[in-house]
Amino acid sequence: MRFLAVVGMLAASLSAQERETPPPLGTPKPFALPAGETFTLKNGMKVTMAEYGAIPLVSIQASVAFGKANESADQVWLSTMTLQLMREGTQSKNAAQVANEAARLGGQLQVVPGADQSTVGIDILGDFAADGVKLVADVLQHPRFPESELERVRNDLLRQVAVQLATPRAQATQAFAARLFPEHPYGRMFPAESQLKGYSLAGIRKFYGENVGAQRTHLYVVGRFDPGVRKAIEAAFEGWPAGPPVKRSPPTPVATGQLVLLDRPDAVQSTLYIGLPIGVKPGDPDYLPMQVTNTLLGGSFTSRITNNIREQKGYTYSPFSAVTNRYRTAYWVESADVTTKVTGDSIHEILYEIDRLRKEPPDARELKGVQNFMGGIFVFRNTSNQGIISQLSFVDLHGLKDDFLRTYVQKVNAVTRQDVQRITETYLNPARMTYVVVGDKSKIEESLKPYPPK
Amino acid sequence: MSHLMRLAVRLWAACALFVCSAAAQPAPAGFTVPIAYYKLPNGLKVALSRDTTAPLVVVAVYYKIGFRIEPRDRTGFAHLFEHLMFQGSKNLPKGEFDKLIEGNGGINNGSTRFDFTNYFEVVPSHVLEPMLWGEADRMKNLALTAENLKNQQGVVGNEVKVNVLNQPYGGFPWLDMPQYANKNWFNSHNFYGDLKDIEAATLADAQSFARTYYAPNNAALALVGDFDEAQAKRWIEKYFASIPSSKLPPQPDLTEPRQEAEQRFSRTDKLARKPALGVAYQMPPRLTPEHYAMVLLDQILIQGDDSLLTRELVKKRGYTNAVEGGINLLGNQFDYNGPMLFIFNLVHDANVLPDQILAAADPIISGLAEKPVTKESLDRALVKLRSQFYQSLTQFGGFGRADLMASFALFDGNPALINSLEDNLRKVTPELIQKTAKEYLRRSNRTVLVVEAGGAPKAPASAGGVK
Repeated sequence: MRFLAVVGMLAASLSAQERETPPPLGTPKPFALPAGETFTLKNGMKVTMAEYGAIPLVSIQASVAFGKANESADQVWLSTMTLQLMREGTQSKNAAQVANEAARLGGQLQVVPGADQSTVGIDILGDFAADGVKLVADVLQHPRFPESELERVRNDLLRQVAVQLATPRAQATQAFAARLFPEHPYGRMFPAESQLKGYSLAGIRKFYGENVGAQRTHLYVVGRFDPGVRKAIEAAFEGWPAGPPVKRSPPTPVATGQLVLLDRPDAVQSTLYIGLPIGVKPGDPDYLPMQVTNTLLGGSFTSRITNNIREQKGYTYSPFSAVTNRYRTAYWVESADVTTKVTGDSIHEILYEIDRLRKEPPDARELKGVQNFMGGIFVFRNTSNQGIISQLSFVDLHGLKDDFLRTYVQKVNAVTRQDVQRITETYLNPARMTYVVVGDKSKIEESLKPYPPK
Repeated sequence: MSHLMRLAVRLWAACALFVCSAAAQPAPAGFTVPIAYYKLPNGLKVALSRDTTAPLVVVAVYYKIGFRIEPRDRTGFAHLFEHLMFQGSKNLPKGEFDKLIEGNGGINNGSTRFDFTNYFEVVPSHVLEPMLWGEADRMKNLALTAENLKNQQGVVGNEVKVNVLNQPYGGFPWLDMPQYANKNWFNSHNFYGDLKDIEAATLADAQSFARTYYAPNNAALALVGDFDEAQAKRWIEKYFASIPSSKLPPQPDLTEPRQEAEQRFSRTDKLARKPALGVAYQMPPRLTPEHYAMVLLDQILIQGDDSLLTRELVKKRGYTNAVEGGINLLGNQFDYNGPMLFIFNLVHDANVLPDQILAAADPIISGLAEKPVTKESLDRALVKLRSQFYQSLTQFGGFGRADLMASFALFDGNPALINSLEDNLRKVTPELIQKTAKEYLRRSNRTVLVVEAGGAPKAPASAGGVK
């Protein structure tokens, strides 16, 4: 294989002995997770406040257990449309007034639809935390859902679908999700035009009522703020009815072992999306070993697949693998946009790296590097307001124990070479993967015949 | 985080994630960025800002060589060379610097912009010394090989394909608008590069480029984070002071002639299913009072839901989902050093014509030249800028702060300018905004680019529900 004739070590003309070695590392400084305080209001809404940072900014974000997961087959993007319409004003403020108020605080209202949870939030100057809480509370509890804006919002979404579906990435992820999650909302990434055109204001109001309320909400306030903001939180949210309880229906994902080729005539690249469901959820004993394995295999710049198909072969620019965790389900994917004529070769190399790790454990130095990397990234993730919220909200969504974050680095470091091989062997079987390829069919079809491997 | 990592890999459009929005803005009273600044005898500019919030340190090396002044027969070369800087140096063979960084818990990246190319790491504090050593090694002794050049020509070719050639609106407007709007080759060539030029680059080109531009007297080093200042200075002396300076060529003439007539262009995007429209205005010279006025006009016109064009084109007329754009789409309002465009752009439906959109926008824009903005509108623009400035200081582990410090060091010899931004913005009066709008937002100072949707379905587009 060409892989064995790697150009690897030609970069320097000096032998290893003649090279200087890097200066030694210093002593690592301690890192403590920011201390937070969590409490529950009488209506069931949870609140976490954490003071963090030196710069007077605060992030306020309500995570609501509401999103794509709550949509039935005839409601695709109804959650998106509902959330978009929540940006269009409250009972007491029209959309322009909401926008002006957000700007006055130094921010902009962010409403982000998600799969298991959606968010309404704002990043503003710390001095204005109480006003920011009030604004977020108003948008969540008292949406105006104005008839006057319905058709414009609908048309924006129609336009958005058209724009997104012109990209090879959206085409690939849509096909991938549909194969892994048939009969489940996760598998329905984009609505049909006719479907979006059918949603009524009454239907949106009903959907909001069935899905948004205090019991489904966790408010995070992270950054620099006056602790007195707790009073503002209580005042703004205590009157909110408990609303619907959290409702979740996790899917039974499918490992298809199929190739899905979507024709994109004249495409100069093929977009690859190769992966499968993995039966490991956050908190399971195999969860962090799986994360370590993924990072080593394709989830970092120095990972094996990236080194192979980018740094050795030059087939692609931004290959990457990741584990996506949804509520009680997860999947692993390697994605890459590769030059058309090396489409089959790229898949060959990706599978070569997976097979290699299934057969032999990584060496100790390589594994240690990955563990150090993950430890460093963990600190990095927990040192910004938004990063901290994202970590806390992950723990909340997956119902993890309090020590999940505190023991994260320690558990990453406990993963062994054999664990990595075992995880790859157990969970990453190429014969069970779904191979989505978006590219010029006439040029690549022949080279795809060997996939999936038997 | 790991998603960010991927996109952060040698991606200049990665600024979309963490630099473009790093709109650098006013430092309000109450938060002054601590800055220590000095120069080594070989000309290396050094700017330090200590912040012990987290046990991290940002190391950023900026070279004053951007794509604007790359060789004429080698479009895209500054960017290709950026990739070569990751391909190994005398003491760190290919891949080893990346492993030194990631293997010790850090992340790294580089990007090529109009007037600089940067390289940076965000690492745990105790990894600072090896980072300085590694950056010095590649400044002093890049180890270029034909194999690695060929490999990165493949990678860069794929970068252009994934970001431009295989994407709807690929390169719009950040890559194509400067080519339409500007007259001077330095500002108007294809700076991602023709694939032919990228393929034609030789090792000799790279060696000559390295000798000329990658020298301490053409660079700035910025550190931000939790480090001991005296110790950092000793290490910087130890690893960088012995690197010889180079003889720099004279800076070419980058000026653009004053634009006297509106320009209009149109192109077809074969992959786009909806048409798009871009409008660009030539900016006033950087760091002049009019420049600060334009920074405010950007906020007033297009940044945020409260902005005038968002209100008119998105909320009132429903022409588009969002009005996007800003000053320097590959960075922020301050990290460049030459002619610049203020751009706004949007995607719209086929049943709305570009002239309808312009007819709706024009009265809003010309209104700013006809009468002074209200105090309320100016105050909102200032507070948005203050908040964004704070966000830029904390962005990406402190990289946003390092970017401004290094840029002000490199272009102005004064990284402390970071602390003058708010004052300079506060000095802008409604009258100056009006005067600036009159000169710089005039129709004859703009370029309109119409992108036709070559990928639209053949049937006439539905009228949708546009009001």
